[in-house]
Amino acid sequence: MPSDIAVRLSGVSKSFPGYTAVSAISLDVPAGKFLSVVGPSGCGKTTLLNMAAGLMPPSEGSIEIFGAPLSGINRRAGYMFQQDSLLPWKTVRDNITLGLQFRGIAPNESAEQAENWIRRVGLDHFSHHYPHQLSGGMRKRVAMAQTWIVDPDIVFMDEPFAALDVHTRLRMETEILNLWAETSKTVMFVTHDLEEAIALSDEVAVLSAGPASRIIGVYPVDLSRPRNLIDIKTDPRFLDLYRTIWTDLKQEVLKSYARTS
Amino acid sequence: MRAPRDRSMLAWQLALGAAMLAAWEGGVRAGVFDKFFFSRPSDIASRVAQLFAAGTIWVHLATTLIEAILSFLIGVTLGVAAGFLLARRRFLADLFDPYLRVANSLPRVVLAPIFLLWFGLGIWSKVALGVTVVFFIVFFNTFQGVREVDPVILNNARMLGASEKQLIRHVLIPSALTWIFSSLHISIGFAIIAVVVGEYLGAAKGIGYMISQAEGVFDTTGVFAGMTILAVVVLAVGSLVGNLERRLLRWKPAHSNTREGVS
Repeated sequence: MPSDIAVRLSGVSKSFPGYTAVSAISLDVPAGKFLSVVGPSGCGKTTLLNMAAGLMPPSEGSIEIFGAPLSGINRRAGYMFQQDSLLPWKTVRDNITLGLQFRGIAPNESAEQAENWIRRVGLDHFSHHYPHQLSGGMRKRVAMAQTWIVDPDIVFMDEPFAALDVHTRLRMETEILNLWAETSKTVMFVTHDLEEAIALSDEVAVLSAGPASRIIGVYPVDLSRPRNLIDIKTDPRFLDLYRTIWTDLKQEVLKSYARTS
Repeated sequence: MRAPRDRSMLAWQLALGAAMLAAWEGGVRAGVFDKFFFSRPSDIASRVAQLFAAGTIWVHLATTLIEAILSFLIGVTLGVAAGFLLARRRFLADLFDPYLRVANSLPRVVLAPIFLLWFGLGIWSKVALGVTVVFFIVFFNTFQGVREVDPVILNNARMLGASEKQLIRHVLIPSALTWIFSSLHISIGFAIIAVVVGEYLGAAKGIGYMISQAEGVFDTTGVFAGMTILAVVVLAVGSLVGNLERRLLRWKPAHSNTREGVS
């Protein structure tokens, strides 16, 4: 049965020996929407994403992907990781086409698509380079093409741009928004940066400070699209939203400071 | 182990070698060292030339190389296979752990007599000895290499739809290759040492046999000639492995191309 909820977490908890990362999380990610999860560092945002991606099973609760219970790897999703996740022994081109190769598509058949994506992420002159020869921003672009080329219905992103400088980051965010706007993909985006979350998303879910974090609130972001990420941060509506969400998030950030100091 | 790019350093290195040889030669000629025990570089060189000119060396060299290559190939195959299997199956790894430790703690030379009894004086007793040496080096490195695969890269490949087989081929093998290669450098040298020791203890052919024959008649020059040939062979084989490594690991940043001393 098709469902307009791409990812549904129902009462999901995850415990590791000695501590509970997230507790009783219920969250719906509507199909085709861009939802961000924000929270203080160490609140289990990545754990949440890994469970939705099927990389680790929840300790309690259930996960549904487009209405079907998830078991094993989430085959309808792509995942952009926070850390470098490219295969260092494969060239840019081979990294980009990796997902196609895993699906048994021969290199000559995927050549056109590969060209297309290499051009799209602006790496025309680097297709035979290895990841260590690229800058951090370029590696992220390869990762983006690698995730997107297999055309997943859902894309999970775990602070994919955290390691980049402000300007590169802004460019990458714009590229992600453009990519997303061209398709009907569902994005679940994890960040600790509330500005980034509001600027990109349709909805922002706020997690409490860990351990045993829960969802404090889900805030709709009614800023019009397409958005200009350069100017949006001075938009009065943006500032309103920021103030509202920050009031709640601030408490959690302070708690997390108190716990770690 | 790579050739220094700096030409003047190469000149210095050659000068050092020449100086040492000259000191040896001069020392023996001046009577500082006893010729009987130390021979002379010039005698050794002419003996090596003579061995090659007469062609008597070939059968020994070929025997030693065949033994070394066989023990290397068999040892690497078994080592890589066992390393992968145990790295992927935790139960087996834990099960075999104490026995592998015991087996590895045994000095391999003591196995030579038993292998001689089991496999006779021919090449197989030497190959068996070589295999026991190569296997453990390659096994431990492969095991480590597979275990230390970056989990993020592994997860990324899984999210992109890799099956277990594809994970092994595209992620685990390339990732373990760095470790396996560092073990190959060491194990090719050890393979040659092992088979030469085996030949020394009992054989009818091979460089080790040649050296032990020379030793038997107090022919120091013959012993040194055998050593010289062995050293050149080990260096040549090592540089072959190095070339292969550079080709297969060309994706690596140049500065971390070699990781040695792990065994």
